[in-house]
Amino acid sequence: MDWAGWSLFGLLATVGLTALMISAQLGGLSRLDLPLILGTVVTPDPDRARAAGFLIHLAVGQCFALGYAGCFVLLGQATWWIGGLLGALHGAVALTVILPMLVGVHPRMASHRAGPQSVAVLEPPGLIGLNYGAQTPLVTIAAHVAYGIALGALLEIS
Amino acid sequence: MSGSRTREPVPIEDYALLGDTRTAALVDSDGSIDWLCIPRFEGQPVFGRLVGGEAAGHFKLGPAGPAGPVTRRYRPSTNTLETTWETRSGRLTLTEGMVAEVSGELLPSTLLVRRLSAEGGPVAAVIEFDPRLGDRHRRPRVRRRGALLVCTWPALAVALTMDSPAQVEPGLAQPLTITPGHPLTCVLTVADREPLVHVDPVTAWNALERDELRWQDWCAEIDPDLPHRDAVVRSLLTLRLLTYSPSGAPVAAPTTSLPESLGGGRNWDYRYSWPRDASIGVAAFLGAGKQAEARAFMAWLLSATRLDRPRLPVLLTLHGKHPRSERELTAWPGYAASTPVRVGNAASAQHQLDGYGWVLDAAWLLSRSGHRLYSETWRAMAGFADRVAEHWREPDAGIWEIRADSAHHVHSKMMAWLALDRAVRLAEHHRTAGSRRRRWSQERDALREDITRHGFDPERGTYTRSYGSAEVDAALLVLPQLGFEAPESARVQGTLDAVARELDAGRPLLFRYPPGHDGLDGSEGAFLPCSFWMVQALARSGRLPEAQVLLDELVALASPVGLYAEEMDPRTRRHLGNYPQALTHSGLIQAALALRDAAATER
Repeated sequence: MDWAGWSLFGLLATVGLTALMISAQLGGLSRLDLPLILGTVVTPDPDRARAAGFLIHLAVGQCFALGYAGCFVLLGQATWWIGGLLGALHGAVALTVILPMLVGVHPRMASHRAGPQSVAVLEPPGLIGLNYGAQTPLVTIAAHVAYGIALGALLEIS
Repeated sequence: MSGSRTREPVPIEDYALLGDTRTAALVDSDGSIDWLCIPRFEGQPVFGRLVGGEAAGHFKLGPAGPAGPVTRRYRPSTNTLETTWETRSGRLTLTEGMVAEVSGELLPSTLLVRRLSAEGGPVAAVIEFDPRLGDRHRRPRVRRRGALLVCTWPALAVALTMDSPAQVEPGLAQPLTITPGHPLTCVLTVADREPLVHVDPVTAWNALERDELRWQDWCAEIDPDLPHRDAVVRSLLTLRLLTYSPSGAPVAAPTTSLPESLGGGRNWDYRYSWPRDASIGVAAFLGAGKQAEARAFMAWLLSATRLDRPRLPVLLTLHGKHPRSERELTAWPGYAASTPVRVGNAASAQHQLDGYGWVLDAAWLLSRSGHRLYSETWRAMAGFADRVAEHWREPDAGIWEIRADSAHHVHSKMMAWLALDRAVRLAEHHRTAGSRRRRWSQERDALREDITRHGFDPERGTYTRSYGSAEVDAALLVLPQLGFEAPESARVQGTLDAVARELDAGRPLLFRYPPGHDGLDGSEGAFLPCSFWMVQALARSGRLPEAQVLLDELVALASPVGLYAEEMDPRTRRHLGNYPQALTHSGLIQAALALRDAAATER
């Protein structure tokens, strides 16, 4: 296990994934804002939330990078295309499992069952994040594939 | 089944609203639910007889035969509806509602509870349950699980259960006898891409009663001294029912294609959210002391407009997406043969300048009420102001979304002025570059000059509908609220008088613009929000007694349960257009608030 590679490249790949997602937002493709969603777990102020969320996302990305590194060790090789495949799987899991689960644990995210007493202000992601825009699934998958390719390629080189 | 024959259209005002802040049903005074979209306001109708004819389904629970005088009301400060019929053998009462608060409990997100009870003797009743889904009125696959009747389509399921051994068959009338002391409770649950949650009648009834208590608590916070408080409370409850809780989006109305003229083609889909309505709602809720709801509308505005900023979309779906293309349901007969029935809304592609003014005014009101604007909120508002500064010289479609062509609408220009004025005021308390602020200020002054030069007719002493136009527009009634000119000035008063004179539809009604001057076939009714704006305008310009009388007259025009459509036939006084209409109810609330404020100022 390349621990140094994991710690550095996991960080780089997560920064890249976050940058891609933010670019997609700025480009008008999706309203999925991972730093905002993660950060509003700890604060309601959107600007502070984005800063906190970015740090949380880095930590979460590092955890996922550990899983990628473990897969590469099990498979006996780290390549960009294996990384890309893992990224596609990761993106699909994020859309179908992680995002929907957030509704149940996030203190400021409403659910589709929210009623008049709901004080949650973040709208729920809906099926595969479609509430955040029709392009959200594509953007999410693409960003995670890029994350996997980056990790695979960087660990392959190291 | 009575549903198989064609029936006379039920007057729009005969319908009452049941809702849970996620979707809503319309029920007539015979106890028939003729409109319910699932699982959301903008979903497919499962009971669509309102505009889809007999084949579109309905759900009736009421007396079997002709029944005598009907009394109908919402239980005070709740959204639970009570309808009572006098029959030859006794009195029959239907109590019904939808459970709004289901979080934290194993309850379905759509839970409709209807209870029939009798007094004075056994009463013959009937249940007609005929669910059909969507454009083609698809019949469900039906199966039974004990007392549960389950109707399924591929992704949706509807279940009916009741505490009676009677076997309901979809599409067939089932006679029932209700005896005193033995009420019958029906429970309808909906599941969308999830398992059905079975709720027995006792549990469902208890959930509805808990909901009633929550609504009563909600209403208790409303100012007890408001003029026409009961009407205001009903309007606030209606606005809240028309707010989609999962995203905070305000729905303009829960219906599509209720006609603006009977038998005509002015039929639009209002199951969407207009940022303008959200902004007006912010002011209405703030004024009535409902701070959380006001903030929720602003939060929705920020989230929903994110992909389009700095452009402000005219309308959006409940989750902030652009509506699908407008299409016509050619096989649907429409309400009172008013075709086409439309789904989707083509107005979404228009450029409307006035929306920016409403939104920035709402932000300013929030800020003035002590709610700090987050940096992101301010950045969004500043972006809107930049957009106005850049585009105000262009013609727009105007507040009435006329599809013919664009013009330099005076009301739009005034609202653009309002946007820049509020941005300048907000900039005093939010970090803004000096050059940006100066630009807004310069453009605001240029706008005023432009409006007063091109949008005012000195001979008639009134602002006009558009530059160079000989017509007036009831949207100009917002003038006394803007701060554009002193409300008591001759120009403002001349405009109010011109609107009252030239757009009079028979007191207290007003047309929004000269009838027929919109490029569409046929005519339309009087536009109810304009009459409420007139109340506000009079109250804010020192004509309080006139305003009070006008509001008294308007409150008397409500439906029997206190609801308003968008328009009203000036001759027959029948409600027209989508129903109930959030903009009309916001207008009523703001009119009452204006009276309260004006009376306080006079004291």
